[in-house]
Amino acid sequence: MGRIIVANRRGHQLVEWDAETDTEEARESVLEAERILREARDKGCAVSKRVGTQHVLDDGVFDPYAEEYQIIAPIAGG
Amino acid sequence: MAWLEPLRALWRRLLAWDLLPTPGPEGARRDGPVERPWRYYWDHLPKRTAGADFSARDYQEARQRAEEVARSTLGDDLWQRLMMDGYLDVPSHRYAGISYRLTIGHRIRVICAPGARSPWPYEYLCINPTYPLPELEFFAHLYLYARDREDTLVRVAAPQPWDQRLGRTF
Repeated sequence: MGRIIVANRRGHQLVEWDAETDTEEARESVLEAERILREARDKGCAVSKRVGTQHVLDDGVFDPYAEEYQIIAPIAGG
Repeated sequence: MAWLEPLRALWRRLLAWDLLPTPGPEGARRDGPVERPWRYYWDHLPKRTAGADFSARDYQEARQRAEEVARSTLGDDLWQRLMMDGYLDVPSHRYAGISYRLTIGHRIRVICAPGARSPWPYEYLCINPTYPLPELEFFAHLYLYARDREDTLVRVAAPQPWDQRLGRTF
Protein backbone atom coordinates (compact mmCIF):
# COMPACT_ATOMS: atom_id res chain seq x y z
CA MET A 1 0.00 0.00 0.00
CA GLY A 2 1.22 3.49 -0.82
CA ARG A 3 -0.12 6.68 0.63
CA ILE A 4 -0.27 10.41 0.01
CA ILE A 5 -0.16 12.72 2.99
CA VAL A 6 -2.36 15.64 2.00
CA ALA A 7 -1.30 18.52 4.23
CA ASN A 8 -4.27 20.74 4.93
CA ARG A 9 -5.89 22.63 7.80
CA ARG A 10 -6.86 19.27 9.34
CA GLY A 11 -3.18 18.65 9.95
CA HIS A 12 -3.16 16.14 7.16
CA GLN A 13 -5.39 13.53 5.62
CA LEU A 14 -4.42 10.34 3.83
CA VAL A 15 -5.09 8.99 0.36
CA GLU A 16 -4.04 5.38 -0.02
CA TRP A 17 -3.54 3.23 -3.08
CA ASP A 18 -2.75 -0.39 -3.75
CA ALA A 19 -0.47 -1.26 -6.64
CA GLU A 20 -0.04 -4.88 -5.59
CA THR A 21 -3.60 -6.10 -6.03
CA ASP A 22 -5.11 -6.75 -9.45
CA THR A 23 -8.68 -5.60 -8.96
CA GLU A 24 -10.71 -2.81 -10.50
CA GLU A 25 -10.86 -1.02 -7.14
CA ALA A 26 -7.09 -1.22 -6.66
CA ARG A 27 -6.41 0.05 -10.18
CA GLU A 28 -8.80 2.95 -9.58
CA SER A 29 -7.00 3.80 -6.30
CA VAL A 30 -3.71 4.09 -8.22
CA LEU A 31 -5.29 6.34 -10.85
CA GLU A 32 -6.90 8.52 -8.18
CA ALA A 33 -3.59 8.93 -6.33
CA GLU A 34 -1.91 9.96 -9.58
CA ARG A 35 -4.72 12.43 -10.34
CA ILE A 36 -4.43 14.07 -6.92
CA LEU A 37 -0.67 14.57 -7.24
CA ARG A 38 -1.05 15.99 -10.76
CA GLU A 39 -3.83 18.35 -9.70
CA ALA A 40 -1.84 19.61 -6.70
CA ARG A 41 1.27 20.21 -8.83
CA ASP A 42 -0.81 22.01 -11.45
CA LYS A 43 -2.05 24.35 -8.69
CA GLY A 44 1.45 25.21 -7.52
CA CYS A 45 2.01 22.66 -4.75
CA ALA A 46 5.29 20.82 -4.41
CA VAL A 47 5.44 17.09 -3.81
CA SER A 48 7.82 15.24 -1.54
CA LYS A 49 8.61 11.55 -1.56
CA ARG A 50 9.84 9.42 1.30
CA VAL A 51 13.44 8.38 0.75
CA GLY A 52 14.81 6.27 3.58
CA THR A 53 13.93 7.94 6.87
CA GLN A 54 12.95 11.37 5.56
CA HIS A 55 11.16 13.23 2.77
CA VAL A 56 12.76 14.99 -0.20
CA LEU A 57 11.04 17.25 -2.73
CA ASP A 58 10.43 15.34 -5.91
CA ASP A 59 9.57 16.31 -9.50
CA GLY A 60 9.41 12.78 -10.87
CA VAL A 61 6.44 11.03 -12.36
CA PHE A 62 4.12 9.19 -10.01
CA ASP A 63 5.61 5.89 -8.89
CA PRO A 64 2.83 3.49 -7.87
CA TYR A 65 5.36 1.45 -5.89
CA ALA A 66 6.52 4.43 -3.81
CA GLU A 67 5.90 4.13 -0.10
CA GLU A 68 4.74 7.66 0.60
CA TYR A 69 4.24 11.03 -1.03
CA GLN A 70 3.32 14.28 0.61
CA ILE A 71 1.64 17.33 -0.91
CA ILE A 72 3.52 20.45 0.15
CA ALA A 73 1.73 23.78 0.33
CA PRO A 74 2.71 26.52 -2.13
CA ILE A 75 4.48 29.40 -0.39
CA ALA A 76 4.13 33.17 -0.67
CA GLY A 77 6.00 36.07 0.84
CA GLY A 78 4.49 38.35 3.47
CA MET B 1 -42.69 28.12 -23.26
CA ALA B 2 -40.52 25.71 -25.17
CA TRP B 3 -38.41 28.40 -26.83
CA LEU B 4 -37.09 29.46 -23.38
CA GLU B 5 -35.72 26.04 -22.55
CA PRO B 6 -32.40 26.43 -24.42
CA LEU B 7 -31.85 29.75 -22.61
CA ARG B 8 -32.60 28.13 -19.26
CA ALA B 9 -30.18 25.31 -20.03
CA LEU B 10 -27.47 27.83 -20.93
CA TRP B 11 -28.09 29.74 -17.67
CA ARG B 12 -27.80 26.52 -15.63
CA ARG B 13 -24.48 25.75 -17.32
CA LEU B 14 -23.18 29.25 -16.58
CA LEU B 15 -24.14 28.93 -12.92
CA ALA B 16 -22.42 25.56 -12.71
CA TRP B 17 -19.15 27.11 -13.85
CA ASP B 18 -16.80 28.28 -11.17
CA LEU B 19 -16.57 31.80 -12.56
CA LEU B 20 -15.53 33.25 -9.22
CA PRO B 21 -12.96 31.78 -6.83
CA THR B 22 -14.50 29.68 -4.10
CA PRO B 23 -13.72 30.55 -0.47
CA GLY B 24 -11.71 27.84 1.28
CA PRO B 25 -13.92 26.58 4.08
CA GLU B 26 -16.96 26.41 1.81
CA GLY B 27 -15.09 24.67 -0.98
CA ALA B 28 -13.34 22.24 1.34
CA ARG B 29 -16.70 20.96 2.55
CA ARG B 30 -17.48 19.87 -1.00
CA ASP B 31 -14.28 17.85 -1.27
CA GLY B 32 -15.52 14.89 0.72
CA PRO B 33 -13.22 13.00 3.08
CA VAL B 34 -9.99 14.65 1.92
CA GLU B 35 -9.84 18.44 1.72
CA ARG B 36 -7.88 19.83 -1.25
CA PRO B 37 -7.07 23.38 -0.14
CA TRP B 38 -5.16 24.33 -3.30
CA ARG B 39 -8.48 24.56 -5.13
CA TYR B 40 -9.74 27.53 -3.09
CA TYR B 41 -8.77 30.97 -1.83
CA TRP B 42 -8.14 31.60 1.86
CA ASP B 43 -6.97 35.21 2.00
CA HIS B 44 -10.22 36.39 3.58
CA LEU B 45 -9.68 34.41 6.80
CA PRO B 46 -8.48 36.24 9.92
CA LYS B 47 -4.82 35.63 10.73
CA ARG B 48 -3.93 32.33 12.40
CA THR B 49 -7.35 30.80 11.87
CA ALA B 50 -8.62 27.93 9.72
CA GLY B 51 -12.18 29.03 9.09
CA ALA B 52 -15.35 29.73 11.04
CA ASP B 53 -16.38 26.09 10.71
CA PHE B 54 -13.33 24.98 12.73
CA SER B 55 -13.96 24.10 16.39
CA ALA B 56 -11.48 24.15 19.28
CA ARG B 57 -11.33 20.38 18.97
CA ASP B 58 -10.57 20.63 15.24
CA TYR B 59 -7.59 22.87 16.04
CA GLN B 60 -6.38 20.48 18.72
CA GLU B 61 -6.65 17.43 16.47
CA ALA B 62 -5.00 19.25 13.56
CA ARG B 63 -2.02 20.20 15.74
CA GLN B 64 -1.66 16.63 16.97
CA ARG B 65 -1.68 15.24 13.44
CA ALA B 66 0.78 17.93 12.37
CA GLU B 67 3.28 16.82 14.98
CA GLU B 68 3.12 13.23 13.76
CA VAL B 69 3.69 14.15 10.15
CA ALA B 70 6.36 16.79 10.84
CA ARG B 71 8.36 14.25 12.81
CA SER B 72 7.99 11.68 10.06
CA THR B 73 8.88 14.20 7.34
CA LEU B 74 12.03 15.44 9.06
CA GLY B 75 13.21 12.10 10.37
CA ASP B 76 14.19 11.34 13.97
CA ASP B 77 17.62 13.01 13.98
CA LEU B 78 16.35 16.41 12.79
CA TRP B 79 13.30 16.13 15.02
CA GLN B 80 15.47 15.55 18.10
CA ARG B 81 17.66 18.50 17.15
CA LEU B 82 14.59 20.71 16.71
CA MET B 83 13.24 19.68 20.10
CA MET B 84 16.62 20.30 21.78
CA ASP B 85 17.51 23.63 20.12
CA GLY B 86 14.10 25.02 19.23
CA TYR B 87 15.18 25.70 15.65
CA LEU B 88 16.90 24.14 12.64
CA ASP B 89 19.61 25.82 10.60
CA VAL B 90 19.70 25.05 6.88
CA PRO B 91 22.88 26.14 5.08
CA SER B 92 22.34 28.03 1.82
CA HIS B 93 23.66 26.41 -1.35
CA ARG B 94 23.33 29.71 -3.16
CA TYR B 95 24.97 32.25 -0.85
CA ALA B 96 28.29 31.42 0.82
CA GLY B 97 28.25 31.73 4.61
CA ILE B 98 24.48 32.15 4.82
CA SER B 99 22.12 29.85 6.75
CA TYR B 100 18.37 29.92 7.20
CA ARG B 101 17.28 29.55 10.83
CA LEU B 102 13.81 28.01 10.93
CA THR B 103 11.70 28.34 14.07
CA ILE B 104 8.22 26.88 14.44
CA GLY B 105 5.51 29.37 13.49
CA HIS B 106 7.92 32.28 12.95
CA ARG B 107 9.75 34.10 10.19
CA ILE B 108 13.04 32.72 8.89
CA ARG B 109 16.11 34.36 10.37
CA VAL B 110 19.05 34.87 8.00
CA ILE B 111 22.28 33.90 9.78
CA CYS B 112 25.57 35.20 8.38
CA ALA B 113 28.91 33.51 9.14
CA PRO B 114 31.77 35.91 10.01
CA GLY B 115 32.67 37.86 6.86
CA ALA B 116 29.57 36.78 4.95
CA ARG B 117 27.10 39.38 3.73
CA SER B 118 23.36 38.82 3.53
CA PRO B 119 21.75 39.41 0.12
CA TRP B 120 18.71 40.88 1.89
CA PRO B 121 18.38 44.29 3.53
CA TYR B 122 16.72 42.82 6.64
CA GLU B 123 17.42 39.94 8.98
CA TYR B 124 14.10 38.10 8.68
CA LEU B 125 12.24 36.53 5.76
CA CYS B 126 8.49 36.22 5.92
CA ILE B 127 7.07 33.21 4.08
CA ASN B 128 3.60 31.76 4.55
CA PRO B 129 1.71 28.83 3.07
CA THR B 130 -1.02 29.93 0.68
CA TYR B 131 -3.61 28.10 2.78
CA PRO B 132 -3.94 27.58 6.54
CA LEU B 133 -1.80 24.88 8.11
CA PRO B 134 -0.78 23.96 11.64
CA GLU B 135 2.57 25.52 12.51
CA LEU B 136 4.45 22.24 12.77
CA GLU B 137 3.12 20.96 9.47
CA PHE B 138 4.30 24.12 7.72
CA PHE B 139 7.62 24.05 9.55
CA ALA B 140 8.38 20.71 7.88
CA HIS B 141 7.33 22.12 4.50
CA LEU B 142 9.53 25.17 4.94
CA TYR B 143 12.46 22.95 5.86
CA LEU B 144 12.03 21.01 2.60
CA TYR B 145 11.85 24.24 0.58
CA ALA B 146 14.98 25.63 2.29
CA ARG B 147 16.94 22.43 1.75
CA ASP B 148 15.64 21.28 -1.66
CA ARG B 149 14.12 24.37 -3.36
CA GLU B 150 16.13 27.33 -2.21
CA ASP B 151 15.41 29.18 -5.47
CA THR B 152 11.69 29.15 -4.70
CA LEU B 153 12.29 30.32 -1.17
CA VAL B 154 14.51 33.18 -2.37
CA ARG B 155 11.99 34.18 -5.05
CA VAL B 156 9.02 34.54 -2.72
CA ALA B 157 10.70 35.68 0.53
CA ALA B 158 9.61 39.06 1.89
CA PRO B 159 12.49 40.58 3.93
CA GLN B 160 11.37 42.11 7.22
CA PRO B 161 13.26 43.99 9.96
CA TRP B 162 11.79 42.04 12.87
CA ASP B 163 10.49 38.62 13.82
CA GLN B 164 6.80 37.90 14.08
CA ARG B 165 4.47 34.90 14.12
CA LEU B 166 3.29 33.80 10.70
CA GLY B 167 -0.23 34.80 9.71
CA ARG B 168 -1.35 31.78 7.74
CA THR B 169 -0.43 29.11 10.31
CA PHE B 170 -2.09 28.32 13.62
